[in-house]
Amino acid sequence: MMSRTEEDFELELRSLPGVLNVGITKHTNGDVNVVTLVANSKDPLATRSAATQIASLYYPEAAVVVEDANRALVDSRQGEARVALIRADYDTSDGFCEVQLSVDGRTGIGRAGSGPLIGGAEATLAALRDLGYELPYSLMTVTNVTNGRDWPVIVTLRSLANDADRFGIARSEDDLVSAVKATLDSLNRFLSNLEGHA
Amino acid sequence: MRHESDDDAESQATLTSIHAGESIATFSSEGYEPWLFQTMLNELSERELGVGFIYSILELFAARHGLSDVAVVLVNDSFGTQMFRLGGEAVTPDMAAHLNASPGVYCEPDTVPAAECDAIRTACQLAMSLHLARFSAAHDPLTNISNRRSFDEALEVAAARSARYGWAFTLVLVDLNNFKAVNDKSGHEFGNHLLRQFGFALRQAVRQGDTAARIGGDEFAVILSNAEGHESSGFTERLRGHLVALGNPVEFTIGTATSPRDSTDPGELLRMADGRLYEKKGIRIS
Repeated sequence: MMSRTEEDFELELRSLPGVLNVGITKHTNGDVNVVTLVANSKDPLATRSAATQIASLYYPEAAVVVEDANRALVDSRQGEARVALIRADYDTSDGFCEVQLSVDGRTGIGRAGSGPLIGGAEATLAALRDLGYELPYSLMTVTNVTNGRDWPVIVTLRSLANDADRFGIARSEDDLVSAVKATLDSLNRFLSNLEGHA
Repeated sequence: MRHESDDDAESQATLTSIHAGESIATFSSEGYEPWLFQTMLNELSERELGVGFIYSILELFAARHGLSDVAVVLVNDSFGTQMFRLGGEAVTPDMAAHLNASPGVYCEPDTVPAAECDAIRTACQLAMSLHLARFSAAHDPLTNISNRRSFDEALEVAAARSARYGWAFTLVLVDLNNFKAVNDKSGHEFGNHLLRQFGFALRQAVRQGDTAARIGGDEFAVILSNAEGHESSGFTERLRGHLVALGNPVEFTIGTATSPRDSTDPGELLRMADGRLYEKKGIRIS
């Protein structure tokens, strides 16, 4: 049975503009691990910001993921996966990246060295494997098109089965996030086909 | 699937609930699944209906029919479209697109009679409406902290306990400085943003068991449980720290009164705290 606090927490989240659904995943010890919102929101960033504030009051350790309810239409055209990036951190002191991903309320964490580009891509693959995906690919290249902000990163993965390559491209606020998103982009259709089997 | 023994047990019992702005929903054992009716009665005997009830119902419903998955879609003017899934699991965007905001109960496998699905949806709709009405009646819609009404109730309770058992608490009134000027200069939307942020900072600053409320346009009140007057400085520091972290430039003035030292009468405590606040008005806290 839900406590009154849990009920009010969920009601507050559901009262945010455009929120259609709230999914709450808990650790085995009962602590809330991930809060997943499905929202038909004009401003998903604002929705995520508001949801993160609310969650911080009730469950400070919980990660908040906002899924776009309209993305299913895009998925059907582009085969985009539903894996969501929760956070990507780069520790300059040891050169390690840590990437946390979420899919269907589950989270996976991956770590890798080698800086934000190669490390970001490797940590993303590790996080996907942590989520249970069996990925028959190895990382071939991670290329920053040019130095500086707002330039795309291209990731190439090679199939272990037939040497066929997959490419992904993404552009975002920094190299690490670009590398993560480009890695996910390269695996989009593959992950979509695996949905429900991970 | 109706169970005759359940029918006997509940005979002609009837439950009627009225929610403002909505039609009267009547549940009776006749025409509805008795197990659902009985579950609602059991829940109501222990507590009020809320979103927790929706998940309980979905779980029982799935168990009774051997469903591997079930989701209910509710549509209402006051809460828009809301989807609930068995076990509190997230609805995927694919599923959300499939459900397409059409109210109803979606089962896997789809083997449950429509009448029972309708009863489930009606019960869930009632629970959601009641929860939202209860929450709205007690909270300020802009900041989601307590409103004046529930603050007055909390102050009455705290004062009564203080008078009876000698338990100390401190009432803190908080007034934003120059808020009207900010509102006039930057617009109501920005003013509302500041108030929302201030409400959030208040929620961060209070401890479990304290009460934070918005009692007027730019007036807030806090009941600090088990706290003497001097302990309000800790609260003020926390509040200031959270406002800085939020990048909220708003400044505020406080006035305090402590029970039972100052008084155990709620009205008198409010007057004392208000008087002290106005004495300090013009002296910026931060």
